[in-house]
Amino acid sequence: MNPKEHKPLRIALAFFNWYCHPDFREEIEGDLMERFNRYCLKYGYAKANRLFVKDVLFLFRPAIIGNIYHLTHTDTMELTHQNKRLITILAIALSILLIPFIAMGFTNEVNWSVFDFLLIGVLLFGAGLVLELILRKVKTLRYRIILGIALFAVLLLVWVELAVGIFGTPLAGS
Amino acid sequence: MNKSTLGEFEEIVLLIVAILSGDAYSVTIISEIEERLDRNVSLGAVQTVLKRLEKKGLLTSDLGDATNERGGKRKRLYEITAEGQELLDLNKAQRNSLWNAIPKLSFNF
Repeated sequence: MNPKEHKPLRIALAFFNWYCHPDFREEIEGDLMERFNRYCLKYGYAKANRLFVKDVLFLFRPAIIGNIYHLTHTDTMELTHQNKRLITILAIALSILLIPFIAMGFTNEVNWSVFDFLLIGVLLFGAGLVLELILRKVKTLRYRIILGIALFAVLLLVWVELAVGIFGTPLAGS
Repeated sequence: MNKSTLGEFEEIVLLIVAILSGDAYSVTIISEIEERLDRNVSLGAVQTVLKRLEKKGLLTSDLGDATNERGGKRKRLYEITAEGQELLDLNKAQRNSLWNAIPKLSFNF
């Protein structure tokens, strides 16, 4: 018997261990493993792994994540305050990107292609990096707020233009 | 949704916990729902509702035994509280009164 066959996909388990709040981690990981082992007996290893990944993705929700401090806290390295902030901003961008991904599992109304995810991913991560740049370079609170609002407005306008072509620009294919 | 009202899925989970009495954790709750109601639910949905019900004081929980099947991780077992039982009884009484209030003619076609 191949001992590897009874272990779920490591990257999925690592992702779960990263986002799950430490208070719930043991019991929910146990539930995931129990379901994985039952799937293995019922459907075989390949399908069990797919269902395991699905379980992990569908667990990615606010009640399970809890507060996000633990997402930026690592034991292996000392992170500067600025790097922690950058990681938090990028994690929020990733969370926003996961919303339509998870919604696609529940309804046919949301139907994004790979290109859509790539495009919005670039938009969100780009905006996140610009926000971090503003926070590092601009020291005055007033200008930080003004630039932050301007960045958010630009992000929203570009997203709306891409989605529904409200202004009829070439971005929307006009 | 406040403490004194239950959503449909919250009510189902609460009833299943009461049915399982002592052996209620996510995996058994999902199996019971699938078997009794022929309905697929995700682990995430059940976990979210269990935590919400515990926060409302309708359930309590405690860590149980670890098993090899669970990779050596303990399970969190849930039990219904007196408040939870009261709310279920109230819901049942309200639904029964609504059913009883339907005029007999309503079902004559």
